[in-house]
Amino acid sequence: MNVTWRRVKDRIMLALAALMGIIILVPVVGMLWLVVSHALPALSFGLFTQVTVGTGGGLANAIVGTFYVVGLGILIAAPLGIMAGVYVGEVNPGSSIAQFVRFTTDVLAGVPSIVIGYFGYVTLVLGLGWGFSTLAGAIALALIGIPYVVRSTETALSKVPRGMREASLALGASQTTTIWRVTLREALPGVVTGVLLALSIAIGETAPLLYTAGWSNYMPNLRLTHAPIGYLTYVVWTFINEPFASANSLAYAAGLLLLILIVIVNVAARRIVARSRMGR
Amino acid sequence: MSQAKIKVENLSLWYGAAQGLKDVSVEIGEHAVTAIIGPSGCGKSSFLRTLNRMNDHVPGTRLTGRVLLDGEDIYARGQDPARLRKRVGMVFQRPNPFPMTIYQNIAYGPRVHGQRGEARLREIVEQSLRRAALWDEVRDKLQKSAFELSGGQQQRLCIARALAVEPEVLLMDEPASALDPVATSKIEELIVNLKESYTLIVVTHNMQQAGRISDRTAFFLSGELIEFGPTRDIFTRPRDRRTEDYVTGRFG
Amino acid sequence: MATPGKVPILDRAMRVATGIVAGGALVAMLAIFVFLLRDSWPSIQYNGGHFLTGITWNIGNLYGNSMSSHNGVQAPAGATYGILPFILGTLLSSLIAVVLAVPLAVGIGLLLVEYLPRRLGDSLSFIVEMLAGIPSVVIGLWGLAVLIPWIGRDFGPWLQAVLGFIPIFRGPVGSGQGLLASGLVLAVMITPIIAATTRDVLRQTPRETKEGALGLGLTRWEMIRAVSLPWSASGIFGAVILGLGRALGETMAVLMVSGSAVNYLPQNIFSPIGTMAATIVSQLDSAMTDPTGMAVHALAEIALVLFVMSVVVNVPARILLSSAVRRGGDAQ
Repeated sequence: MNVTWRRVKDRIMLALAALMGIIILVPVVGMLWLVVSHALPALSFGLFTQVTVGTGGGLANAIVGTFYVVGLGILIAAPLGIMAGVYVGEVNPGSSIAQFVRFTTDVLAGVPSIVIGYFGYVTLVLGLGWGFSTLAGAIALALIGIPYVVRSTETALSKVPRGMREASLALGASQTTTIWRVTLREALPGVVTGVLLALSIAIGETAPLLYTAGWSNYMPNLRLTHAPIGYLTYVVWTFINEPFASANSLAYAAGLLLLILIVIVNVAARRIVARSRMGR
Repeated sequence: MSQAKIKVENLSLWYGAAQGLKDVSVEIGEHAVTAIIGPSGCGKSSFLRTLNRMNDHVPGTRLTGRVLLDGEDIYARGQDPARLRKRVGMVFQRPNPFPMTIYQNIAYGPRVHGQRGEARLREIVEQSLRRAALWDEVRDKLQKSAFELSGGQQQRLCIARALAVEPEVLLMDEPASALDPVATSKIEELIVNLKESYTLIVVTHNMQQAGRISDRTAFFLSGELIEFGPTRDIFTRPRDRRTEDYVTGRFG
Repeated sequence: MATPGKVPILDRAMRVATGIVAGGALVAMLAIFVFLLRDSWPSIQYNGGHFLTGITWNIGNLYGNSMSSHNGVQAPAGATYGILPFILGTLLSSLIAVVLAVPLAVGIGLLLVEYLPRRLGDSLSFIVEMLAGIPSVVIGLWGLAVLIPWIGRDFGPWLQAVLGFIPIFRGPVGSGQGLLASGLVLAVMITPIIAATTRDVLRQTPRETKEGALGLGLTRWEMIRAVSLPWSASGIFGAVILGLGRALGETMAVLMVSGSAVNYLPQNIFSPIGTMAATIVSQLDSAMTDPTGMAVHALAEIALVLFVMSVVVNVPARILLSSAVRRGGDAQ
């Protein structure tokens, strides 16, 4: 086959790949433009101070509710995920138990969030009689997020140089002290990235919360059970289907706030990783 | 030489089915530098690690024989490895500072063993850094990350860190092999100065280094202790043919 | 055995505690399966195999007092639960998504690893990762506001004009909601994940082998085809299956663009569809009005089917990916 045809084919493939890159930009840019432009009418001080009232009002209850239920969910997911990651990565690495746990965690990560939400509905909302509640929502979010924390923790721990652990043990420290004061400290950036990833996912979840947290037009109180709670993703889904312009604007405003939150979390994660690389 | 600080009796070590040490018996004297030499894979590092029970953390190791520290078998039932390691410290081949400040690195050991008072800790940190000949270089940057030090400084930091728990014995596994010549000679000078207060056992693959710093030398080959004696004798009138071959560079 | 020495109590407690938490993953999986099974049991009894093959989803007459009963279980009169349309909707939309996402994702992965200079590549990487993080509802917003009108007004009629001779491209384009929209939205959602994994796997191709091929005079594309792609094949394949798993379970975005069809099978690419995941959400409110509770049990059964499907897809994908990653590690 002559060289010119091969070179042409090479160029064509490059062009195709570039085309793919451009194609993917279309929805990204489209989404950002759509949300920003349509959210503008609703942006006002009242957005942050008023609660949702019927098909209008503000997003105060949804914003606080998101922080509340997501915050609680991560509060549950982070320590549990880190402990499981420590077991698989430090206490008993390489064993078949560890492999099995890792495998199961990975499969759990692939379970659709609606399934986990329905599971929460059946066991917590109905079974334990909590009704739509913050705690049920938080537990559902935690179940969804834990696999990511476990995976990141384990990966981060595996990158810690062996000598560091040995130095700690050689000084007379126990394995527990070594793990929690030295190894995890060195692995912290990776661990935090995992937690932030779980956070980012939790912020964007809707379906599981529909089945566990319900919805509330009121500012969240501190009741963990027997009281539903509002959250931003609910607003996006329900209010966009309302025939009222005020509701639609709120939906876009909620979408914009969600995007901003997610960008903040992602940028924070990158900064942490970048900062940890300095000085080595 | 004074009485034996460490007495090893018929020590054999297995990693799974492979035998790493074969019936080693030796007496290490106090306040002296004992060098351990031999070709790669001869068991010198394995031997060193039996002296502070670091092999406990490698699954599948098995050990027979006794290791006596001041007359007590460190492997006896009921012996606490953490307390042992306070008395027998270790410095590794590559510097391995913790991801903390210089101060926190040194203070880590004493804190682990229960030392709380900040004033006392500051004293210990300064004392240890002086003993490791590093104080003048870091005295005004104790709050900086340990990673900002050069390789040679990091290794002296590790030595200071080991000294901070006030051990009686210091095990050193090729402490200068990852360093440049200038840093190496600083470490060697330090080792010779330390023997006044501590008992040092230094594994090295560098025979000239062994000649420079040690009082006695042990030659290992394939897991066996071939010969042990005053350093000068090992190098100038070795009794065993294999020792002679090694120190004259015929293999290794 | 001459290494006695007590493992300090603290260490032992720590190992046990972390071990228990680690075992929780398995407990969670089992709990999900068991509780879903328990809650769907009445529906399983009532519907039998008809659940998977039936086309009609009808929660029955909630007003009268009459009941139907099968196999000794009661439900409102006339209630039948068949989810074949949802199964088909799920499979078809995911299939379209995968068919579209694979060339997109592999192209992007190649772009990031082989073609683009570092700075441009990092920017594109960043954008792709941002897309991966966008909530499903926001993508649904875009689907509703931008994609649907485009399909309804421009793309749909164009497809019909060009490809209308093929049966699946016939049928009224309608509003634009339907199978095509669902497939497109899912493709947008799963492409970033597949692309990111493809990029990571491609990066592990040993440099010497690549440079050897180039040194022999192969063009970049030929080198990619001969070295990079075969090397990364199992990893990419695993990522694709993971993406498929994600598409099968995706709920909100699909719910917003699918048309929420009930009770008929998709005829062509423009038909409104329902997916299992979307139906669980859209039917919740009406299911809760069923006093016998059977509708809720039926929804639980859908969730159970979806759970089993996701496990069946994810297990081989994980096995594939872990062996690909291990190979990459060995070759370094």
